[in-house]
Amino acid sequence: MSGESASVIPRNQVDLVEFVDWSSVECLNQSGTHSLPNALKQGYREDEGLHLESDADEQLLIYIPFNQVIKLHSIAIKGPEEEGPKTVKLFVNREHMGFSNVNDYPPSDTAIFSEDNLTGKTVVVKYVKFQNVRSLTIFIEENQSGSETTKVQKIILYGTTVETTDMKGLKKIEDH
Amino acid sequence: MVLEATMICVDNSEWMRNGDYSPNRFQAQADAVNLICGAKTQSNPENTVGVLTMAGKGVRVLVTPTSDLGKILACMHGLEIGGEMNLAAGIQVAQLALKHRQNKKQQQRIIVFVGSPVKYDKKALELIGRKLKKNSVALDIVSFGEEDEEKNEKLEALLAAVNNNDSSHIVHVPCGPSALSDVLISTPIFTGDGEGGSGFAAAAAASGYEFVDPNMDPELALALRVSMEEERARQEAAAKKAAEEVANQEKGEQQSTSQDTTMTDSVNLETSRPEKKIQDLTDDENALLQQALAMSMDDPSTKAAVQDIDMSDASADHDLQLALQLSVQEESAADQSNQTDVNKLLADQSFMSSILASLPGVDPNDPHVKDLLASMQNQSEQTKEEDKAPKEEEKK
Repeated sequence: MSGESASVIPRNQVDLVEFVDWSSVECLNQSGTHSLPNALKQGYREDEGLHLESDADEQLLIYIPFNQVIKLHSIAIKGPEEEGPKTVKLFVNREHMGFSNVNDYPPSDTAIFSEDNLTGKTVVVKYVKFQNVRSLTIFIEENQSGSETTKVQKIILYGTTVETTDMKGLKKIEDH
Repeated sequence: MVLEATMICVDNSEWMRNGDYSPNRFQAQADAVNLICGAKTQSNPENTVGVLTMAGKGVRVLVTPTSDLGKILACMHGLEIGGEMNLAAGIQVAQLALKHRQNKKQQQRIIVFVGSPVKYDKKALELIGRKLKKNSVALDIVSFGEEDEEKNEKLEALLAAVNNNDSSHIVHVPCGPSALSDVLISTPIFTGDGEGGSGFAAAAAASGYEFVDPNMDPELALALRVSMEEERARQEAAAKKAAEEVANQEKGEQQSTSQDTTMTDSVNLETSRPEKKIQDLTDDENALLQQALAMSMDDPSTKAAVQDIDMSDASADHDLQLALQLSVQEESAADQSNQTDVNKLLADQSFMSSILASLPGVDPNDPHVKDLLASMQNQSEQTKEEDKAPKEEEKK
């Protein structure tokens, strides 16, 4: 994972929050009051008072399916200095992972967040591994200070969509 | 009707031979398991239930989560008692079985029957509990049979570690005259956090179900129950809407309070019968109509009563206040204001038509009523011209 960061939205990339399939989004080990939409959804993530917090221990497993195939370019995570995430592993196209099998597969990418990154600067991912993403699993393994719970203010995903066939546009060829 | 996958952990250790529950602990447990399976599959047809035994040679899964009730009941048959219960292993295997459920949208739940002493220490149980919570698995504990202080403490600690928003429960069933399953029926384990299971439970216990025995025709019973709930919700929504309309319109205080009591009546009743609601409306509206008639006939006592009560409402309504000021000054103006109030009420088309339609004894086409209303309307012509034309057309 390169340490470069860009402080503005990367060129030609869009915010992928519109392509998230909200009905199947899951987050394991989230606290009941501080849940995933607080960090992911458009309005809530900008609200300073709302954040995502872990429950029983400091790990979080977030499963985000998309409603079409996308390429992921970079990710921005904002969190408090102490309880913000430190080691973040990304898995592509793995459905319904649990905490028990996160270590069975190698992650598509791993990001170590420093306190600097936690202010919301985007961190670029290994683009080649994220060309054909249907679902993204974010595993937050530990936080900055090793505290009991991890807090995340917002998660923004930047990328582009892959041109998928628009079935409505397909027309039958006329017989002459 | 939560969509759930449940794993039931049965204790078939040697401690189950004891006869302090009739006929013996194991049989009572088996009855309870059968009842729970039935309730779960009834409350939502897509629910799945699985069963495993914790004692014997080792933890053994008898049936993986399935919605086929027959298969579940069949596997409970012919179980043998023996060995010692392994609580931790049982819960962990149950968690694994749930992890591999076919429908990932189902919520995960484990129901464990603990009849023998718990040999694991509190720390280990808490660790297990936290792992369950982390994987969002709910846990119900049925503690029966052997009772000792330690066991209770450990199970309470386990529950505290798992519990997330009260989705997990513990039930202590002491030995006594009532059967294990009867005691369980009234607990949240059966009623599923306070919803649908009570229908099944009522049927099982006292055949109190109205139209159809769920055992005979579960699909029809389900459809009926859903439609009744929808009807109830619709009525409550209609009641709320009517209450809002009342608040928006300019009315005397009696009208709004009578409407309010009607609304609270219909909302508070869990099984609100439509007849009863109309009954309430009829009684109140009869009183209203009486009062309107009395006022129109210049009955001084009633007029005074209305006037007194109107004063208290005056602060809310500028027009009303103005009218009342006039009435205080002059007697003739008093007539006018009362008439105006009544006219505002009576001129309200929707309200009038609803009253007249619901009153069984009053025929809108009755000439007497028509004359009365016509005289009202002539008075209100000056104030509300727009209502007149549709009113007269409707009355014809």
